[in-house]
Amino acid sequence: MNNNNTIQLSKQDNSKIVLSGLSRRRRKDRRLKLYGRLAVATAVTFLIFLLIAIGSKGIPGFFQYYVTLEINFDRERLDPMGDLSVDSLYSGESEALVTEAIYSKLKPQGRSQKKAVKKLVSKGGGEKIRDRILKNPKLLGTTSKIRFPVDDDVDSFLRGYIDRNVPESDRRLNDFQINYIDELVSKNLISYKLSEYFFFGSASRDPELAGIKGAVIGSLMSLAICFIISFPLGVAAAVYLEEIAKKNRLTEFIEININNLAAVPSVVFGILGLAVFIGLFGLPRSVPLVGGMVLALMTLPTIIISSRVSIGAVPPSVKDAALGIGASKMQTIFHHVVPLAMPGMLTGTIIGMARALGETAPLLMIGMVAFIVDIPGSVTDPGTVLPVQIFMWADFAERMFVQKTSAATIILLLFLFLMNAIAIILRKKLERRW
Amino acid sequence: MDGLSKKPLNPDSLIEATLENPRMSARNVDVFYGENKAIDNVTLDVGKREVTSLIGPSGCGKSTFLRCFNRMNDTIDICRVKGTILLDGNDIYDASMDVVPLRAKVGMVFQKPNPFPKSIFDNVAYGPRIHGLSENKDHLRNIVEKSLKRAGLWSEVKDRLHEPGTGLSGGQQQRLCIARAIAVGPEVILMDEPCSALDPIATARIEELISELKAEYSIIIVTHSMQQAARVSQRTAYFHLGRLIEVGKTSEVFTKPKNSQTEAYISGKIG
Repeated sequence: MNNNNTIQLSKQDNSKIVLSGLSRRRRKDRRLKLYGRLAVATAVTFLIFLLIAIGSKGIPGFFQYYVTLEINFDRERLDPMGDLSVDSLYSGESEALVTEAIYSKLKPQGRSQKKAVKKLVSKGGGEKIRDRILKNPKLLGTTSKIRFPVDDDVDSFLRGYIDRNVPESDRRLNDFQINYIDELVSKNLISYKLSEYFFFGSASRDPELAGIKGAVIGSLMSLAICFIISFPLGVAAAVYLEEIAKKNRLTEFIEININNLAAVPSVVFGILGLAVFIGLFGLPRSVPLVGGMVLALMTLPTIIISSRVSIGAVPPSVKDAALGIGASKMQTIFHHVVPLAMPGMLTGTIIGMARALGETAPLLMIGMVAFIVDIPGSVTDPGTVLPVQIFMWADFAERMFVQKTSAATIILLLFLFLMNAIAIILRKKLERRW
Repeated sequence: MDGLSKKPLNPDSLIEATLENPRMSARNVDVFYGENKAIDNVTLDVGKREVTSLIGPSGCGKSTFLRCFNRMNDTIDICRVKGTILLDGNDIYDASMDVVPLRAKVGMVFQKPNPFPKSIFDNVAYGPRIHGLSENKDHLRNIVEKSLKRAGLWSEVKDRLHEPGTGLSGGQQQRLCIARAIAVGPEVILMDEPCSALDPIATARIEELISELKAEYSIIIVTHSMQQAARVSQRTAYFHLGRLIEVGKTSEVFTKPKNSQTEAYISGKIG
């Protein structure tokens, strides 16, 4: 076989050689298959682990403990000016009514006991009463039962995170308070319900009152701005580079730099946004408008790259067909190329936006980490976004914030799943076969 | 073979390259891809109401030459065309010539059927729509119906005009593409191996159609099948390595070729 002149293997010889190597080849195939399965199994295990960990920690964060108290909506004390205005309600004594209501249930004696009992109910109680009256002024003059959130330490105790056997000096609740909580439980006044504060509240120093609504709205506004800026710009740039621009050194240089931009750490875009949008243009800090603009910068390269790929995948025969009957370049692009590339472009955009939704670092740079209680009403109102909210909560020491951190993470993941699902549905729906 | 290609052209074949009253005439056309010369000094007239077939071995430049007639080569960045091509006396490579009206006058049918991923109706209506040829919806429907009838497809698709054009069979798709090309009322139709992706029955159908269409249009067809060239065309031009070797009446080129290369190709010795 080494000598070219003596190659004259018979058919039998050849098939013998093939057969002898066969089992070794099969073994290799099987090994490769095994490695593949192991890799997939490992990935799936980690994913399940992650979901269980986040789920088990986060789902309790959707709920919280409430104490049911009987409130007498005293017209004189709640609405001293008698005009139901916000000013009047805030000069009223709604906080005092909550305290009186819990005193009447537990009948504490002396200063220290009263102080201990007062602390059992969240500070948000008065706000809840005012809220009820604003929604339904007819409540004034009546008596009704209302559920108030318990203080976060009480919540943690009821969940079993505070051990009553620990010496009093080492726990956040004293013996009086624990006894009173036991009394409330035995009177059936404590309930475990879906947390209205988590879903409809905004940032707060009190963990039992803190919620994600402000952050979710901030995120949605930022994403809307991001989409409005980056999608048209990205598609236009991709169409130009792929279909119109001549291939020369300059376009090659631009291409390389767009690919580089996609790999730039996101915090750099934050610094850019800080320097240009806030420093140079004088836009306000902490607002979703600037947040969206920074995210748009970050998303643009992703959109341009994926759009170019899907434009490149449009069969040239379709372009030829359009040009062949006299469509102009623009007509060919906008009647044929862009519609056919649209599913791919949208998928790329949504995936880019999903990345933007989870982005924290660039938004820290432009001040979206500020503590903002008000829910933003427009894109120029200060606000924060979901991942930054999670980041802030993760920094707090209170036990309840830990749950809220996990719960907010679940919400963030749900948004990501939702966006990816939309991407898949859009692609399936818009995809045309040819 | 290399020695043959450098032989001077037979003077008789050059005389036959020009016609009395041509629809289009190419004069001294050179085509370059970058530094490569793909077409070398070709002069050829295309007659009115007849089919001209371009034959020759693969890579001889016949498709490249065909695409010069509606400037489809413009879409290739590195491609340059020298010389003149006249359509009704105007140079289509003149700076003042716009490719949009040119391509409306010189339609094209491609090798692979390429209907748009749209309905059958929209495929045919696209050309009239972009050129603003129809006054109203009824007029447009008329144009579509007429074009489909002329392409011999109407009876097969009249009940499903709003189904996707891509759902038709290969032969039907190619006839749809022909209908799409004639819907804008061209003077010339270029066909680049229109049957190479089709089975013999669909091919026969297209050939029949080409023979009918020549009553109204000038047709230039590139084909690999010499039988097809013999069946459908009145004039045949044989290309080899970017040069026009011989052109003449189809019957004469196939029965008594003047050039030995042509003879070698059509008798199956090369190609």
